[in-house]
Amino acid sequence: MKTVYVCSDTVTGIFSGIYDAWKSRKREEECEIALRGMLDQQLFCDYVEVEETEHKAAAVEALIRKHLGMRAYHDIYHAVLSADPKKGDAVLGTMLTAREIPDSTKIMDHLSHPKVEKVFELYRNVFGETHSYKGFLRFRELKNGVLYAGIEPKNQILTCLAPHFADRLPTENWMIHDKTHKMFAVHEAGKQWVILWGHTLDEEVFEQVSDREEEYTRLWKGFCQTIAIESRRNPRCQLQHLPLRYRSEMVEFG
Amino acid sequence: MRIQEALSIYDKLNILTDAAKYDVACTSSGTSRKSDGTGIGSCEQSGICHSFSADGRCISLLKILFTNECIYDCKYCVNRRSNDVARASFTPDEVCTLTMEFYRRNYIEGLFLSSGILRNPDYTMELLYATLYRLRRECNFQGYIHVKAIPGASPELVQRLGFLADRMSVNLELATSESLRALAPHKTRKNILTPMRLVQNRMTENKQELTLYRNAPRFVPAGQSTQMIIGATPETDYQIIQVAESLYQKFELKRVFYSAFVHVNNDAALPAKTGEGPPLLREHRLYQADWLLRYYHFRAEELLTEENPNFNVLFDPKCNWALKHLEEFPVEVNRADYKMLLRVPGIGYKSAVRIVKARRLGTLDFTDLKKIGVVLKRALYFITCGGRMMYPTKMDEDYITRNLLAAGEKLPREVREMGYRQLSLFEGGWNENGICVQ
Repeated sequence: MKTVYVCSDTVTGIFSGIYDAWKSRKREEECEIALRGMLDQQLFCDYVEVEETEHKAAAVEALIRKHLGMRAYHDIYHAVLSADPKKGDAVLGTMLTAREIPDSTKIMDHLSHPKVEKVFELYRNVFGETHSYKGFLRFRELKNGVLYAGIEPKNQILTCLAPHFADRLPTENWMIHDKTHKMFAVHEAGKQWVILWGHTLDEEVFEQVSDREEEYTRLWKGFCQTIAIESRRNPRCQLQHLPLRYRSEMVEFG
Repeated sequence: MRIQEALSIYDKLNILTDAAKYDVACTSSGTSRKSDGTGIGSCEQSGICHSFSADGRCISLLKILFTNECIYDCKYCVNRRSNDVARASFTPDEVCTLTMEFYRRNYIEGLFLSSGILRNPDYTMELLYATLYRLRRECNFQGYIHVKAIPGASPELVQRLGFLADRMSVNLELATSESLRALAPHKTRKNILTPMRLVQNRMTENKQELTLYRNAPRFVPAGQSTQMIIGATPETDYQIIQVAESLYQKFELKRVFYSAFVHVNNDAALPAKTGEGPPLLREHRLYQADWLLRYYHFRAEELLTEENPNFNVLFDPKCNWALKHLEEFPVEVNRADYKMLLRVPGIGYKSAVRIVKARRLGTLDFTDLKKIGVVLKRALYFITCGGRMMYPTKMDEDYITRNLLAAGEKLPREVREMGYRQLSLFEGGWNENGICVQ
């Protein structure tokens, strides 16, 4: 009978689920990882609640790093951040398949396998969204000088975005607010960035911008309008590159 | 004497953006740099687009002219001295503040600074240098900077500027020297190619310096580029891609950009205004061919010939080449070498790499190819998987052409609209010779 391991939608949760499934030495068809809250009930299977611990997650991480290599770990980690409910299952399937090929570190090239292909698709999606937000995210300067940006990503990309902006703006105080997953990435000038999770902050402060802010918004809006060449107008092309879901937080479309 | 009100920064930005918008090359790619922790800014190898304007072009850099007060009279240019347009100049300080404040808010990836010729080339270059120096050394800006080298400026200035910028470009403007003489009387081919060669030589030297001393200052690390105007002069596509090819080979350029000619001036030397707008399809085909030269191991004379000097409007250059060389197809995906895979319509360089890797671990069939990212509706006429084609197909040019078109090959806007227009003329009672019969 098939066993379904139910865990929460976090890296620790999913890796713990994989740990339990891996320990049970079941074959690929006999086990599945499902996420709490995104579960399709099936007949003829056992549901097991996973006990989530840091220890299990670290063990799975070490296992992947050692046997599949750093590159595959990088890909798998990003796949786990995606919004797809089948992600845990795809990762487990990939790890089980890796045992069967001669060189396990080449597993991510094995694109003709459906689970590997799924992981590939997921991390590509996460990378894509991260890359888009690196460009489309907009900071605004609040009254207290902090740069604030709100985003609504589908995937949990804060841990991918924060290092980029920490490197880019090391001398600034900034925070990125992931409204979908209710998380914050906070960076204090000259220090490491941190993820805030499960806290509620006073959201009214985010609307109070500094005095200079309006002027720069106006300048930027003017720039974006002027730079377009009228005889080459092509809104479809614009839409293709910059979908509407990104535009709600972008000042030039406000 | 000229009396002018002091312009606000908003007006200046407006004027000088408007003057810079016909420049292409708003890319921020080609260099990767971490911040040193003291200033602001970093660079990503792939470049980052920060917005897209209403014409669908990417906005990555703050693209402005330093000044549009130009002493030259190039006939295609909106800033030619005989045009009556609002003129303005930034000060180095203003450019720095704008760049830094926009960059902090993640509006831009860096600065694209070009300029009209104020007084003389050297004077203009000094101003550009002063701006960049301030931005790099005083504001400690480590983001991307693309700067134009002014033809005719002294070599020493070009060198100094190159150490502050990531990318430098000299505009070739027009593909042949006759056209340049006709439309840009103050520019010469020699003046344009000299700084280009200088930057190239200095980059080669810099590579050696960097192998010896890892921390030596870097000279134009993202390489140099150039741009050509398409459609203002009678050059053929064949001539243009030959020029582009030789620029890539002889001047080691990173990119050649093509800019469809936009009618902004009325001048007897320019082609007549037709109401069709800029030749966007031609520009698009040239970019496609440019990609084939740089990433797909094609040569210019494979794509076009003296007898057939312009691109097919219906098909992209690669598809067109494949249809003319059906003897090379079909290609067996599980065995063909990488270079041959690149030549198959519907397989891009990323999918080709993935195919080469994936087939080591198992044979591929058509469903796998689809997942890898191959555009099967185009590729299916040219490939076999395990010795089989996807559907029974005749290797016949007319047959494949017809099927590609019927399968919803996305036709460019120009071609679709051309069809409509002919139809409406016909319905309106015009016969084939264009004479009204009613």
